[in-house]
Amino acid sequence: MPKIDLEKIMLLIFFAVILFLGPGVLFDYKLKHDFPFAYSASDAFQHQVRANAIKDMGNFKYEAFYISSGLEGTVGRYPPVMYHIAVIFSYFSGLEVYDAIYFIVVFFAVIASFIMYFIIRNFNKTVALLSLPLSMLIFSFPASIGFLWGHWPSILSQSFLLLFFWSIMRIDMKHGYILAALALSATALTHTSETIFAFIFLALFFAIKLIVKKLNKNDVKNIMLSLIIFSMVSFYYLVIFQNTWAKGQPYSFAVQPVWEGNPGFYIAGFGLLLIPIILGLVFSIPKLKYLHISVILGLAMLISGFLNYIGFQLRSFQIRFFWPIYLSVFMGFGLYIALKFAVKKWNFAYTSAIFILLLILLAGAVKLPILKQTDTQVIPSIPYLNRETNQGIMDQYHWRALKWLSENTEQESKIYFFYGDIYNQDALLRNSKRFHYQVDPDDFVKSIQDRKIKQSYVSELPGDTGGGITIRKGLFNFESATKSLPEGYFFGPKDICTFNYLIFDKVSRQQVLAQYNTLIASEMLKKDAQIVFENEAVVILKNNRVGADCIEERSF
Amino acid sequence: MKKEVFELVKKELRYIGILFLLVLIIFKIAFFKEDVVVLFRNVLSLFWLFALPGYFIMLYWEKELGFTERFVIGIAISAAIIGIFSYYLGLIGLNIKYHHILLPTVLVIIGIFFNSSKKD
Repeated sequence: MPKIDLEKIMLLIFFAVILFLGPGVLFDYKLKHDFPFAYSASDAFQHQVRANAIKDMGNFKYEAFYISSGLEGTVGRYPPVMYHIAVIFSYFSGLEVYDAIYFIVVFFAVIASFIMYFIIRNFNKTVALLSLPLSMLIFSFPASIGFLWGHWPSILSQSFLLLFFWSIMRIDMKHGYILAALALSATALTHTSETIFAFIFLALFFAIKLIVKKLNKNDVKNIMLSLIIFSMVSFYYLVIFQNTWAKGQPYSFAVQPVWEGNPGFYIAGFGLLLIPIILGLVFSIPKLKYLHISVILGLAMLISGFLNYIGFQLRSFQIRFFWPIYLSVFMGFGLYIALKFAVKKWNFAYTSAIFILLLILLAGAVKLPILKQTDTQVIPSIPYLNRETNQGIMDQYHWRALKWLSENTEQESKIYFFYGDIYNQDALLRNSKRFHYQVDPDDFVKSIQDRKIKQSYVSELPGDTGGGITIRKGLFNFESATKSLPEGYFFGPKDICTFNYLIFDKVSRQQVLAQYNTLIASEMLKKDAQIVFENEAVVILKNNRVGADCIEERSF
Repeated sequence: MKKEVFELVKKELRYIGILFLLVLIIFKIAFFKEDVVVLFRNVLSLFWLFALPGYFIMLYWEKELGFTERFVIGIAISAAIIGIFSYYLGLIGLNIKYHHILLPTVLVIIGIFFNSSKKD
């Protein structure tokens, strides 16, 4: 009879549990959705739209004009790897891009927890198994904001960062430096700031090696070869990065203890789990001299998560989304140390029992009556998965309207979005795939207060300006695409009669806003506009005489 | 490919087949509201795009690493390579719609080639 490998069974159980409680809950136990599901912020749509645009264009040489504020020929400046993987996966799986990109991000976050497992296993197999359940907390609130609010490039890049840590652990294998180079390039081409954290880890690793006198010629040779290959593979994109993001968002010192406007993850969020984590951290310090990668990376990423105090700002807060993975080694080691005091003869049965117990506890399946359990960040608490599915901000009605615009309007048409509750997350409007403006909510409300119907409203051009919209003139020659644009191009009064299509929401949380939309639409219908699309939430008008007076200004 | 490596591949491809079925079952549990055909196609995509190319690349280190570790790391390595090279292939004019067939095939061939020419 073949020997049953209990370790592999544990890994399979963990895979099933994390998939069920993580992506399963997040996606309402489905892979295919009728619209972008569990998208809770503009950034999520930003990435989905870009991946869709790459699928349409066939490559990422240029950014689509409807992303770049209507400007053509601007260089594709976002790190491309996540989008390309998503599009390729979409082609083979048949999933829509909006499902494929989200799935890829959560799937590789799960894979990252397994990579960490193998890194810790190289230190101690029991510690690795005791550490693994903590990784599930990447899907607990507030760490789950990383998924819901669209910090996807950072999350995927951190999965590659773990791959890089693993490859450094194995760099002594024959040609192992190639794996390190590829992993490092993947971080740079997925979300470049994670590459900085890779170098922080490397600095710490080599500093410790130097201190304990274990740095040898072979180490230096391997890392140099790795960096040379990394530079060659990443060169083309890094030139773009240097001339866009690095210039647009240079480093500046700032102390930012709190992530304003975001429910960030703070160390206290581990609650009572901090006890084994701190214990593990303390006991692992003497182990540094043995150069265990899991301990060094845990320390490096703990420090990296606090670099918001010296100017790393949101990049450090993003690192914290993966703290449940990075710091799991300390929890596992802390538990192991503590339990070893009580149990003299440790065996696999103890490991299995604690592993299962941790899974149950962190899944929130059992509430301990003596401990206050909460998913807020208050000590004492034990964090656990909240197991609530959230549809996000999109719905089938708005999605159908946006799809209709992308499929049924002329490509050069200009479209105008009047007020909609969800339109402040403006990247979702790019799903129209058309050049678009939207009404400024303040001017819209003021017009209601003044009881006026107008032909001109203050309007915003909601494109993606992150990193600077840039045109590439040569290999090293880049130029801003926005410098010669007229004043008021991005924000100012706009004549609504110059637009081909106008979109009105019929429902709102504040019904007066929707009623005003309906009033404007009905006034336009008295002139040269016609309804071309309508459902329960949205009506789209076509302006048949663009440029002519399409509405009569009046009071009501 | 050397005989012993060939035998190893034969054995481990059986493991991969079993893993495919196990992953499909786990996917059916985690995404129980989803149609089996959709799940099958998704799991197949994961294996075709990431697991299989990753396996053949990581085969180069079969003496240093166990099957499970090679399998998991291979998934991430394959994603890294496919993501990076898909970007560059797109830039030189090969439409991304061909990459889901081309890149995994090339990676599998490269993996087999390097394992055949590997010196002990």
